[in-house]
Amino acid sequence: MKKIWIALLMCTILFAMTVASQAARKGDARQHGGTLSYGEYGRPATLDPITSNEMISLRLTELIFNGLVGINEKQEIVPELAERWEISKDGRTYTFYLRKDVTWHPREGEAVQKFNADDVIFTYRIMKHPKTITPLKVRYEFIETAEKLDDSTVRFTLKRPILNALAKFSFKIIPQHGPRNPDFLTREDPFVQHPIGTGPYMLQSITADREIVLVANENYFKGRPHIDRFVSKPFADQNIMTQALVYNAIDMIVLVNPRDIPEIQGNKNFILQPYNALSYSFFGYNMRDPLLADKRVRKAFTCAVNRQEMLDSFFNGQGTIISGPFAPGSWAYNLDVQPIPYDPQQAIKLLTEAGFTRGADGIMQKGGKRLSLSLKVPIEKESEAVKRVVLAFKNYLKNIGVEIKVEFKEWQAWKEDVFLEHDFDIIYASWVFDDSADISSLFHSAEIGPWKNNFGGYSNPEIDSLIVESKLTLDHEKRRTINRKLHALLAEETPYTFLWTLTNYTAYQKKVRRVAIHPYKFFSFADDWFIAEKEQK
Amino acid sequence: MKKYSQKPGEISEFSDLPFWKKADGVDLAYVGYGLLIVTLVVASYLLGMFKLLPHDPEEISLELLMAPAGTPGYLLGTDFMGRDILTRLILGIQAYFLPGLLAIAIALLFGTLLGVLAGYRGGWVDTAITYFTNLVDSFPRMVLILLVVAAFKPDIYYIMLVVGITNVPVVASLIKGKIQFLRQKSFIEAAIALGLPTKTIIWKHILWHNCKALLIIQATIGMGEAILMETSLSYLGFGVQEPTPSWGNMVQAGSNYFMQGKFWPSTAPALAILFTILGFHLLGDGLNNILEGKRNK
Repeated sequence: MKKIWIALLMCTILFAMTVASQAARKGDARQHGGTLSYGEYGRPATLDPITSNEMISLRLTELIFNGLVGINEKQEIVPELAERWEISKDGRTYTFYLRKDVTWHPREGEAVQKFNADDVIFTYRIMKHPKTITPLKVRYEFIETAEKLDDSTVRFTLKRPILNALAKFSFKIIPQHGPRNPDFLTREDPFVQHPIGTGPYMLQSITADREIVLVANENYFKGRPHIDRFVSKPFADQNIMTQALVYNAIDMIVLVNPRDIPEIQGNKNFILQPYNALSYSFFGYNMRDPLLADKRVRKAFTCAVNRQEMLDSFFNGQGTIISGPFAPGSWAYNLDVQPIPYDPQQAIKLLTEAGFTRGADGIMQKGGKRLSLSLKVPIEKESEAVKRVVLAFKNYLKNIGVEIKVEFKEWQAWKEDVFLEHDFDIIYASWVFDDSADISSLFHSAEIGPWKNNFGGYSNPEIDSLIVESKLTLDHEKRRTINRKLHALLAEETPYTFLWTLTNYTAYQKKVRRVAIHPYKFFSFADDWFIAEKEQK
Repeated sequence: MKKYSQKPGEISEFSDLPFWKKADGVDLAYVGYGLLIVTLVVASYLLGMFKLLPHDPEEISLELLMAPAGTPGYLLGTDFMGRDILTRLILGIQAYFLPGLLAIAIALLFGTLLGVLAGYRGGWVDTAITYFTNLVDSFPRMVLILLVVAAFKPDIYYIMLVVGITNVPVVASLIKGKIQFLRQKSFIEAAIALGLPTKTIIWKHILWHNCKALLIIQATIGMGEAILMETSLSYLGFGVQEPTPSWGNMVQAGSNYFMQGKFWPSTAPALAILFTILGFHLLGDGLNNILEGKRNK
């Protein structure tokens, strides 16, 4: 009898040892298993973090890859691939000490490789290579050099110290043995369709229907994620996506269409969870048009538009009216500035002040010139909300004697008209921001030109100097003060009619537990989500 | 033997009976329904042209979004902008009427021209035209339209221009086949033998007496096709653009609410499309049977 006990004991010890040597276990008792399939509107072009430029792939790369640093649910910077770091006193050198226990996802027919400093340098080089087409290049211009000190230490030297530089080291690291071409990455490289990373989930397959199947990485350095599989299902129609959720064909929708919110809200099987997105919508004016260069005209337009009514009628009131150029979720937003109220009488007064009189046809005119403007809108299939807003805008402005001609254009042609030819009077669009709350590319006069973001040609020396000042300061409080001033000034200047920021909602089946969401990367905390054992299908 | 089997009266034009007496009852019903639709279409077109509408088609009322059919003052309810659906339904035909006629005109004119050239002249002309029509036929029509829309702008006239051009091969090959068949007939041989000018033979003997029915049918089918094409394009967002109403963009806008049980904004225009296209096709079918005297045999 005793022998058996000893043998059993030994078995237990052995078992415990193998587990310990495999990977760090998550320190929680949540169950493993289950599949979470989520619906996406459209298909991603690429799956790597470098060449991709849309939200669908951004969300996927969040599951497959890691950065040197990450962010936690409280928006604090936390170690990820780097276990610690040092910042020099002058704020120009950042030294990262990397984890030594991280392995890349295995690739068939190849030995498992360890993550080390070479991969970090490699990623940086690829990103900076002139032949790599990536939106990240501009973002990392502030880095002067990247060097490897030893296998687990890298040092970045900055051109000049900048505020919040650490947060920018969250870019995703790709393996040196990943891409076929060792110098630069293009969309032709097989890696962009079959990426391997260090993240909680590994790409298993892409089915014929372009469903992207990810499986849990057993060797994930933060511990195996709880849910076994993530499946991204592409949908060509948002209406069908909601129905798919309601009839259990998918478990989650990343962004619920506002018109479907009431339907899901009333259903006990689902959780509707709001998350803050750093974005807002606006009407942008072309200041090259002498009529619109007059601040009073732009302000009159803003007064004429009943933004709350539109928000209530078209988006179920799910959002906030904004007053200025920063997203309301960001620290830079100035809550003391009130949105310009709806007041058509004031609008007419402003137009009169600007020298306009009502013509015989009811349209305002000045010096024989009718106040008739074109509003250019890109064609999208799911454009019902867009249509509603622009048609209502047309209607509001008709009330104050302004004629708006709505012109719908194919997406590429629209982009050329707005950003290249600057052939438009008004556009309706949205900006999506990251956490840096950087608006310099939108309103600085140096950003006027082909394919630059200051499409309206807005130029104001006071704004320019404030923007530069805000970029150069290293003190967070001081920067906040400058940005508040910028906000107040731009609210008064109305280069845009600032509309609203919508509350985003995700909807998912009740069985998915402990869901925390990152504002725009979405899946940052997905390795902590789980599905209770009895509810796993 | 065939040569002698031809009797007067076998080709319907030579019969003395008025067509409604020769025709089958079903065909008359088809044509009757078709004419009713044509009348409705023309009437709607005129109502729209003279602005005799129950409401202003662009009048937006945000308090009355998606009002159901039967709401006082709004017989068919309102759409996603609170606009009167009936008004927009009546006005919607404007989007198809003239552009549709343009598409038909292009297809018939060039199709007939090429068909006659290929069929009557034959030889290398025939080969060249066949190659040309095959070339046009091999372009996917939808892609061609999307290209034009991307290059210029989403305008229904551009779209119908493409629809017209891509229909040319169909008409051309029908006319060509008919002429090749007719050329072996004795009455054409007789006409040639009598020394009639080619122009007369083509215009009178071939086109007027023998291709009339075929062209009318093609025209009626063409109108239905124009409406269907615009509807498909509207689903992709490239059809007639807001605020101008078309049945296609009304169905598209309404479809977003279909799943939520608000079916009327898309059902009304969808039924209009169904009945109209059915009307044009039945008119074509009925006329075909009556003019060609097919059903009686």
